[in-house]
Amino acid sequence: MRDTLTAYRGLARGGTLVAVTYRGRLVLRVLTGFFPLLMMAVWLTVVAEGGPPAGWTAGDFLAYYAAATLVVNLSGDHVVWQWDADLRSGDLSLRLLRPLHPFHQYAAADLGQRAVTLVALGPALALAAVLSPALDYPVTPARLVAFAAALVLAYALGLLTASTFALLGFWSTQTANVWLLWWGLGSFASGWVAPLELLPPWLRTAALVLPFRSMMGFPVELLTGRLDGAQTAFGFAVGLGWLGVFALLYRFGWRRGVRRHQAVAG
Amino acid sequence: MIEVRDLAKHYRVHRRQPGLAASLRSLVRREHVTVRAVERVSFTISAGEVVGFLGPNGAGKTTTLKCLTGLLHPTAGAVRVLGHTPHRRESAFLRRISLVMGQRNGLFWDLPAADAFEVNRAVYGIAEGPYRAALDELVDLLGLAELLGRQVRVLSLGERMRCELAGALLHRPDVLFLDEPTLGLDVNGQAAVRAFLRDYNDRHGATVLLTSHYMGDVTALARRVLVVDRGTLRFDGDLAALVEAHSPHRLVRVTLRAPVPAATWAGLGEPVTVDGAVVTLAVPRAETAAVAGRLLATLPVEDVAIEDPPIEEIIRAVFAHA
Repeated sequence: MRDTLTAYRGLARGGTLVAVTYRGRLVLRVLTGFFPLLMMAVWLTVVAEGGPPAGWTAGDFLAYYAAATLVVNLSGDHVVWQWDADLRSGDLSLRLLRPLHPFHQYAAADLGQRAVTLVALGPALALAAVLSPALDYPVTPARLVAFAAALVLAYALGLLTASTFALLGFWSTQTANVWLLWWGLGSFASGWVAPLELLPPWLRTAALVLPFRSMMGFPVELLTGRLDGAQTAFGFAVGLGWLGVFALLYRFGWRRGVRRHQAVAG
Repeated sequence: MIEVRDLAKHYRVHRRQPGLAASLRSLVRREHVTVRAVERVSFTISAGEVVGFLGPNGAGKTTTLKCLTGLLHPTAGAVRVLGHTPHRRESAFLRRISLVMGQRNGLFWDLPAADAFEVNRAVYGIAEGPYRAALDELVDLLGLAELLGRQVRVLSLGERMRCELAGALLHRPDVLFLDEPTLGLDVNGQAAVRAFLRDYNDRHGATVLLTSHYMGDVTALARRVLVVDRGTLRFDGDLAALVEAHSPHRLVRVTLRAPVPAATWAGLGEPVTVDGAVVTLAVPRAETAAVAGRLLATLPVEDVAIEDPPIEEIIRAVFAHA
C-alpha cells in the first residue's frame, strides 16, 4: 500500500509536469473544459424564447452548467484515450513491466493532469461565482461534504467505466468508437444534454438507476440544492452499486484480456 | 535463475487476401490462421551469465523474451525466472527484472530525462540513497550529464537509448532482457552501448539475455548463444563451439610481396578473395596450421592471418542446415 501511494505521488507529479509542458495544449485543455457552457447557451436561448421550461430559469441553468463544468473536468474517464493509444501501439507492454498495475498508472497520471485542470478552471469559476448572482449555491457544511464525496464517486466511477471499456482493446481496435457511443447515449441520462428534471418521465426514471447520472448530474444536483436526504442517499447507493458492478467487470475483463494480450508490434 | 521447459506460444491471427473483394468477404467471413511463434523451446540460464539470442526475423526471439518477462502467457510449457512464474507479473518479480526494447520508449516522452527518471524511482519505490548512487553511476558510465535536462522526445536515437538503459537500470535489476538494444544506432553508438553493458555486467553480475541482429553485439557481450529458427531452438552453447560446429573452414589471409599465379593455391585451399597480392583462402579447419606453414615456407609472404569466418555467415549456415 505504501509503495502504491509512493508510486501514485510520483506518477501524479509526472502527469502534472506533462500537462504543463506544452502551452498550446494547456490553452486547448482550458478552452475545451468550458464545453458544458455550450449546452447552457442552448438552454438560455430556450428560456429567452419560450420561457422557463418546467420552472427552470436562466439563473438555474447558469448555476447548473457552471457546476457541471467543474464536475465534467474532474471526471476520471479521460484515461480511456491513453489506454486505447497504448493498446493500439503496444506501449501497454511497457506498463505491464512496471511493478504497479496499469490501472493505477493511468489513474495516477490522470490525477496529476486533473490537478492542472482544477488550477486552470478554478479561478475562472470562482470569478464567475463572484460576478454572477445566479451562482449562489445553497452551501451548508453537510452539503459540501456530500458534494465532495459525490465528486470522488464520480471520478472513481468515470475512471472505472473508462478503464473497463478500454479493455475492449484486447479484442478489438474499436475501443474509442464504442466509448464514444456509450458516452453519446449516456449524455442524455447523465444530465449533460439537459437536467434530468426536464427529461420525459420514462427517461428520467431510467436515468436515476443508470450509471451516467452518478458521473455528472448527481454531484451537480447536490451542489445546487435540488436533492433531499433520501434522494441523496439513493444517488450514492446507485453510484456505489455501479462502482461495484464495474469493478467486477473490470476484474473479469482484465484477467481474460491480459491472457490474450499479444504484445503488439515487436 | 532462468528455466524454460518446452515453451510454446501460438497466436491466432486474422488472414485476408489483398483487394477490395477480399476485404468485403472478410467483413462477413473471417479467416484465421495459427502462428506457431515458439515451439517446445527449453534452456536454463545461470546467475550472471550473458547469453545471446540469435535468429532471423520471425524466429521467435522476441516472443520468447516476452514470455520470460511476463508480457505473454505461454500456450504450453513452463517458465521460471528468479523463482517466479513471469506471466503472474508479481510485483516482487517485476522489481527484479528489466526489459529494454530498442524500438520502444520506456521513459515519459514529454519530460526531461531527470524528471522521467524520478517517475521510475517512484514506480519502483527506490529509496533516496540507493537512487542517487545508481543515478550517479549510470550518469557517469553512460555520459548522461548533458542530457538530464533535455526532453526525452528531442534526444537523438543514441542519446535516447542511453537514457532508456539508465531508466531501466535504476532499480538494479538482477535480470536484464535486451531486445535489439543497438537497433538503428551508428557504429559509435553501438560501441558505447556494448561497452556499457559489459561494464555493468562486470560490476553487478546481472544476468543478461540479449537479442540482436548485430552480430557485433553478441560477439562483444555473450560467450553463450541460443540460436532459434522458426520457433525452435537450433543451438545452445558456446559461441566458439557454434563456430567450430558449423564452419568446417577457417580463413587464412596471406599478404605476399607480389601477386602469384592462381595455380599456386592448388592443394592449399579455396581462394575466397583475391585482391592483387592479398589472398584469402578457405582452409579445412584441421589443416590450417599445416597450410600456414607451407605458405610461409614456399611463398614470398609478408603477413599471414588466420581467422574464423564472420559470425553472420556461420549463422546463415546454421539456418541453411536447419
